[in-house]
This record gives sequence, C-alpha cells and structure tokens, in this order.
Amino acid sequence: MNCSKFETDIALYAGGDLPAGQIARIEAHLAECADCRALAEELRALVIGLRDEPLEDAMVAQIHQRVMAEVGGAGFSLRGALAPLLALAAALVLATVLLWPGHSPRHAPVARIARVEPSLIAPSPPVNVVPVRHRVVRRRRRAPNAQPGPPLLVQFVTDDPNIVIYWLVNQKPQGD
Amino acid sequence: MEPEGIALRMTAYPRENSGELAAFERIMSQCERRVLRVALRLLNNPQDAQDAAQEVFLRLYKHLGSLDETRGYEPWLYRVTVNVCRDIARGRRGSIGLAEIADPVAAQPDAYHAAERTQQREMIRRGLSCLGEKERAALVLRDVEGLSTREVAGILGSSENTVRSQICSARLKLRDFTGRLLRRRS
Repeated sequence: MNCSKFETDIALYAGGDLPAGQIARIEAHLAECADCRALAEELRALVIGLRDEPLEDAMVAQIHQRVMAEVGGAGFSLRGALAPLLALAAALVLATVLLWPGHSPRHAPVARIARVEPSLIAPSPPVNVVPVRHRVVRRRRRAPNAQPGPPLLVQFVTDDPNIVIYWLVNQKPQGD
Repeated sequence: MEPEGIALRMTAYPRENSGELAAFERIMSQCERRVLRVALRLLNNPQDAQDAAQEVFLRLYKHLGSLDETRGYEPWLYRVTVNVCRDIARGRRGSIGLAEIADPVAAQPDAYHAAERTQQREMIRRGLSCLGEKERAALVLRDVEGLSTREVAGILGSSENTVRSQICSARLKLRDFTGRLLRRRS
C-alpha cells in the first residue's frame, strides 16, 4: 500500500493538529496499516519527548537573580535612576544649610523673622523707645489696686519713608 | 484537538502602579521557566539560553508600561524569546554546544533507568538543531510549550496553515533524524 499521502496527516494527527473532519479517515487507515500505526506511534513519542525537557532549578534561579540585580540596581526606571541623585542633592543642601557660617540651630527661623536688621533702620532718629525701668514683680508685695501702665510704643523707621513699623506693647500692672 | 495539561495560557497580570518592580518580579517568576525552556530548545546551549532569557526579561521590564496587560504577557514574551534566540543563533551559527547541556536526570542516582530517556533527549536536541529556524520555532511553541496553532501563528506572525505545515514537516524531519541516529547506533 502506498501510504506516503497519509504521512502529512499522520504527523498532524500525532500532535493533535488534524482537523476533526479528517480524524475518522486517518484512524480507519491506521486500523488497517501496521506501518502507518508504527509511524504514528513514533511521532507521538517524539511529541511527548519534546515536552520532556527538564530544567535545572539553579539555572532558573540564576536568571532570576541576574535580571533582578539588573533592574533593581541600575534599571531602566527613571525614578530608580534619579533616586540616588535626588538623595545626594538633598544631603548636599542639608549639609550646606547646617555648615553655613553663622548658622546656629538654636535660632529658629521664626525668631529671625521677628528680628529687625539694623541696616533697615534709619540712623536718625534710629529708634524712639520709651525707656522702661526694669522691675521685679513680687506678688506678695503688689498693691491691691494696681493698674496697668500705659502701653509702650516702639517706632522703627526704615530707609523707605513710606514704611514705618510701630510696635505696641501692653504693660503689665505695676506694683511697688 | 489541543494538548491537555498545559495551563499557562493568556493570563492577565494585574499591574501595580506603586510596585512596578514587584509586579515585574511576579510576572517573571511565573514565566521564567517557560522562557528558559523555549530558549534551550531553540538554542541547544544553556549559556546562550540563559543569556537569551535574561535579555527577554530585561526587555519586558523596559516595555512593561507600554504592554497591554489585558492581553497577557505570554504572547509578547514568546515572540521576543523567538526573536532574541534567532539573533543569538545567527551570531554564533555553526557552533552549537550540544555537549554542554547537562541533563539533570543523568546526574541522579537512578540515572541508569533513565538512560533511554536521556538518549532520546539528546537525539531530539540534535534533531532540533538540524531544523530550519521557522520550523523549529513553530515546533517548540506547539509541541514543547503546548500552544495552539492559532497562538503559534499569532506569535510568529504567520497563518495557521503555514504553522500547521511547518510543524508537520518538522515532526517528520525529526522522526527521520532520530530514526537514522538509532539505526546507526544499533
């Protein structure tokens, strides 16, 4: 029997690729042809053998490590690439601020804002301050009808004639 | 009729915006054996296969954001694996290191009983290296990975009829090759 015309279909049949409509015809032929049955068995064993490719776990683990080292270290991520640079820049800024001459961590920025730079104050008249006598409050000796004193007015005159800073300070009640 | 027991299929992986690296590692963990197995079958050289797999996953990481996760990553991974292996094979044409492939089964204590399987593996490896580039890719994706003819056609950019013709031809050539080898040895 000339079976060469069946070879292609048997090769497809062995791997499960033969269209459903042709399976019955091939199976009928295989039932009566020992050579083609042998061919079909060989091809089927070959397909099974192709799937039988053991992999070493060490190989897989090695690839995993290599790839993760690559993407985790010097990866393609822009965020990942910039992170060390940003950290370095932040460290430099912090070091510059901390080591800048005259910087004192005891002076909070709020306190600096409250200060008036001498250069901003006009030399004449520099500051009109109503002098206040330093006093020590002793509660037990305070007069029973003590009244608060008049408020203090501090005037800062700057170089700009349009800017005058007034500082009104309420005095605490004065006692003897 | 499709082979059973192959449950890989086109899985869609959820993407984590805040954990891109973690998402990538999860995808790699699920696919690395398949990529390596295909690369090994296509290249017949473990070192080249490892290099190929590494390149495939680096490309995956690079393009992860632009891939359509709803379609799953496997078709893309298989396509890139075939392309990377083709480039590596063309770069080292004629220097197939069959002897370098270490068979894990052969190293086991009961290797004597597995000698026949080991011999068959070796014949298949040699036979695969004798196939043409496209036939080998089609056969590996269909018979080793168990993808459907349609999936293989999609990955290789061919028609289903072409793939069917390629795998049919490849099976018959492989069977002739192993048959000749067996007759020569006996």
